Amino acid sequence: MSGQGLSPSLETRKPLKSTWNSRGVKHSALGLLMVIPSFLLLLFMIVVPIVTSIQESLTGNDGQFTRDNYKYLFTDPAMKANIMYTLNLTVVSSVSVLVIAYLLAVFLRFSTGKLAKWIEKLYYIPMFIPSVIATYGIINMYGNHGWLARIMLHFTDAPFMKVLYDYKGLLLANLWFNIPFAAMLLSSALSGIPNAVIESAKDIGAGKIQIFFRIIFPLSFKSMLVAATFVVMGVIGSFTAPFLIGPNAPQVLGVAMQQQFSVYFETGIASACAVFMFAICSLVGYFYIRNMMKEER
Amino acid sequence: MTAQVQLSIQNLTKRYKTGDGVSGISLDIAHGELVTLLGPSGCGKTTVLRSVGGFLEPDSGDIQIAGKSVLHLPPEKRPTAMVFQSYNLWPHMTVYENLAFGLKIRRQSKEQIREAVDRALRLVRLPGSEKKRPGELSGGQQQRVAVARALLLEPAVLLLDEPFSALDAKLRSELREELREIQSAAKLTMMFVTHDQEEALSLSDRIIVMNRGNIEQSASPQEIYDAPQSLFVANFIGRMNMLNGTADEGCIRLNHLELSNPKELRGEVVVAVRPEDIRWNDASLPGLAAVVKQVMILGHYAEITLLTEAGLVRMFLPREESGQLSGGQSVSLTFTKLTAYSKSSI
Repeated sequence: MSGQGLSPSLETRKPLKSTWNSRGVKHSALGLLMVIPSFLLLLFMIVVPIVTSIQESLTGNDGQFTRDNYKYLFTDPAMKANIMYTLNLTVVSSVSVLVIAYLLAVFLRFSTGKLAKWIEKLYYIPMFIPSVIATYGIINMYGNHGWLARIMLHFTDAPFMKVLYDYKGLLLANLWFNIPFAAMLLSSALSGIPNAVIESAKDIGAGKIQIFFRIIFPLSFKSMLVAATFVVMGVIGSFTAPFLIGPNAPQVLGVAMQQQFSVYFETGIASACAVFMFAICSLVGYFYIRNMMKEER
Repeated sequence: MTAQVQLSIQNLTKRYKTGDGVSGISLDIAHGELVTLLGPSGCGKTTVLRSVGGFLEPDSGDIQIAGKSVLHLPPEKRPTAMVFQSYNLWPHMTVYENLAFGLKIRRQSKEQIREAVDRALRLVRLPGSEKKRPGELSGGQQQRVAVARALLLEPAVLLLDEPFSALDAKLRSELREELREIQSAAKLTMMFVTHDQEEALSLSDRIIVMNRGNIEQSASPQEIYDAPQSLFVANFIGRMNMLNGTADEGCIRLNHLELSNPKELRGEVVVAVRPEDIRWNDASLPGLAAVVKQVMILGHYAEITLLTEAGLVRMFLPREESGQLSGGQSVSLTFTKLTAYSKSSI
């Protein structure tokens, strides 16, 4: 709040100051009022649930404090397998998404051909298809009696490879759901690199590979981090596709958590699972924020 | 010219889809010469420069540097270096890294690079700014770094594409002087593109005036100014009075004034006279009859507007002398120097 309107003569100082003060109170009241909805939303949708889950994850069936839920999470062979499976899928999916999206973005940025133009128009369509529908689309395409299997039947009698209810199917789904957004972020970053900067690099003698690694990649690295964060978060928390086309064992953490909660009614274990996922995501968030701040300095 | 030809362009033609471009451009630049390509925007000067740098592929013609054709070489293999209008520094690298990048590619040792970068920064008067990023420098400083970056590569030909046009007037003339000093000290061969005639006149060994994709005239700044070969050049460079007259055997007539006709023109002509080449006399003496319309003091000189029988004429006079003239006064004008062009040549 600035001191505007605070240049009164001596006699009028008091009344002026008091009106200014009441106006200030009104202003701050209005400000508070505008912040309250989002604050409440944050409180009841994020802060309270986190606190409750932490509490619940540390409470046994007898209502006493216990660490058993976490012990189970990290020692039970099935649960351990679920965690490793999720982390493996997340890393492999994220790396594949980023590599493919980056290659796509580079192609879109530097190609002037017709193909690039068409891809540019079409590549973000997956973002507008609801995940349930897309998942059933995947089932239709890759299922035992799906399109691919039926077409292959014309050429060979060998059974079609197992894509659904398998790691491959989940990887495929993750690619479908995450590439468009990552490619969009990266290609906007790449189109922000002016041709002129690339020209001057050529002029001093840099070849294509040097231009890529010394100019283009460093200049789009920040967006790469942003994309990586979003992709990791999206993959690790994915539910629809793993629930519909994922394997029964091991399971992705999101599905395992749902099973613990709604099938086995193990709220404590489900909560421990949720806290663990949240911890991983916070870690990713921490690295993201740290990198952003480093760039700004 | 006795000096060795460093850059030779032969019959260069490059046409864009829009129909713009250049055709049949031939020029030679001697070793250590600073040549300016001057012309209005869209005249093709940048097209020539970018063709030499390798950023454009000409439709036909040849470009030779030190006697060898470079036409088939991409920009990164050409012995040229370019200073761009928008500096084109790499924003994610420090000044040192910007300068060292080219040398690293040439696989020089670390000490060699450090020494060369130090020298280059001292040359462009920016020592101590190694660790800064381009974003922390002013426009003039950034362009200095860009010049240093180009100089470090010791190019056979240094190309400059309107390097100072984004800077303010004072800085521009400062950098111009510095560049000229560096150029003559290092005997650099330079091709400089500008649309600023003052810049071209003050900087160049030779000016090539271009118009609509063709070379109009190639000569020293002095010659370009004193003896413009075409009406376009006469009009484009400096201030010029254009008067309509008729020519026949022996002389050119501007109403009653008879002028010499060394080019032996015939018929309708345009007489071009610089404002500083006009002298005035008492109305009783022979010359072009004129009436003073306005006297404007412009610092150390005055611009006098006169209405003559042949049209409006502007004349420059020293400020003291202009005191003798006032609006409405009748005078008689003579010309100390003039150029005439046949109207049919336009």
